[in-house]
Amino acid sequence: MHISDGVLPIAVTIGGYAVSAGIAAWSARRIHSRDLPKVAVVTSAFFVASLIHIPFGPTSAHLLLPGLAGALLGPAAFLSISLGLFLQSILFQFGGITALGANAVMMGVPAVICGWFFQYFKGRTKARQAFTGGLAGALGTFLSAVFLAGLLMTGGEDFFGVAKIALIAHVPVIVIEGVVSGFTIGFLARVKPALLQPVRSFHD
Amino acid sequence: MTDVHHIQVPLWYLPLLVLIPAAVAAGVVPWLGRRARTRVVPEKDPDWSIPPLADSHGQGISLIHRWDVRCKIVTMLAYSFAIASLRHLSAAAAALCVSLVVLLAAKVSFHKVLLRVFALAGFLGMLLVVMPLTVPVHPGDTILVFGSLDWLNVNLRGVVLAATIAAKAMAIALLMEPLLSTAPLPVTLHGLSRLGVPDMAGQMVLLSYRYLHVFTHEARRMTAGMQARGFEKKTNMATLRALANFLGMIFVRSFERTERVFDAMQARGYNGRFPDPGHLQIQWLDILQTGVWVAAGTALVLFDYVKV
Repeated sequence: MHISDGVLPIAVTIGGYAVSAGIAAWSARRIHSRDLPKVAVVTSAFFVASLIHIPFGPTSAHLLLPGLAGALLGPAAFLSISLGLFLQSILFQFGGITALGANAVMMGVPAVICGWFFQYFKGRTKARQAFTGGLAGALGTFLSAVFLAGLLMTGGEDFFGVAKIALIAHVPVIVIEGVVSGFTIGFLARVKPALLQPVRSFHD
Repeated sequence: MTDVHHIQVPLWYLPLLVLIPAAVAAGVVPWLGRRARTRVVPEKDPDWSIPPLADSHGQGISLIHRWDVRCKIVTMLAYSFAIASLRHLSAAAAALCVSLVVLLAAKVSFHKVLLRVFALAGFLGMLLVVMPLTVPVHPGDTILVFGSLDWLNVNLRGVVLAATIAAKAMAIALLMEPLLSTAPLPVTLHGLSRLGVPDMAGQMVLLSYRYLHVFTHEARRMTAGMQARGFEKKTNMATLRALANFLGMIFVRSFERTERVFDAMQARGYNGRFPDPGHLQIQWLDILQTGVWVAAGTALVLFDYVKV
């Protein structure tokens, strides 16, 4: 879920922009500048993937994918996610333009954490990689939900109820996201294991 | 103003005031949203066709089309932040009116504006339902109690708060179409880079915007293939596994494509820059228009500040 315009206090939106600009600069420095166009192309793949709807009982959910982005892109995931959110905002109005910085922090920081988590624990066997990928997927969505609740709560105690409901609404998404991420990582481990190496995906 | 006002309402007001409007909103808004999207894919999935930014509709007609792109970006972003900082419903409603007037003056595609409004409806609808029920009770609040249902307390302060947020979000969202589609995306990004945003950021936006369409097309072809093999989405493990493989395949193809794209770019002499889309020049009319917007934003913020 993306935060729309007008929800967050103005100081938080500006602070979000400042923090995300700093992390984006760090993220851009972690990869070769020659590889930035490639990050852009991969971002559009993640964007399209996040539009796929997963059936869930009578309704359906769409994936957020911070965990997978982190596992595949490493530190570049922050850049990729900020770019994706910018496009979602200007194309679909998902997430307001003033809240863009806060949204990037909310989705991008968990992605980078998940990247570390995945690279640290993935081990060597395919089954373990798939399992770790699943955990990373669930962790990414969980952390995003926690960030979302935290950001909403900066609006004062009037927003505590909304924050609580946003957290609860994310529980099924966390489960679906974990399962799908696990299967996807398992698929990649079988089909193209080079993608799961730390940030080497661009340097072969 | 110190104690909490309770207003007892007969129980039959509940359907009248809450349930019927909620049901109408829950039914009509998604229906209109579906109608507003032109369907390309004959399936149950929501159709996320990537809407074009800046079609030729009304190109160069309105004042906003002719506004210098740098002035436009800076002014409208600053104005959006000014709107986001408003705290009172009346000020937010005034901002919404201003946005509507601008929308009419900008001569942009009404259809795309509608899509933006529908995209917002879910989040704002959630706030409008949740906030009246969960906002903590402060002295001076007014609470509606429906008959004997004393657990269902509708706090009017929550209603006002959610409505203020909704008005602000709508006021800003309505400005996005005049901001973005009154110039082609490369020109807007060129304006951003002339304003000090790193060149590379703009290039990445352009590239991923372009490949968005490529991957949407690819995903659609893969979906068609899956359907031809009899795949149907259900709530079960097999569906999740099939969709996960589908995602994996999109990623594999995208990573392979990046190599080819990059090779092709280098073969055409890419040296870290795209050619500039045109020359920008600020004229008096641009500054005048910026002045009008700044005045409007300042007036709104002052009005909000003076009102206690």
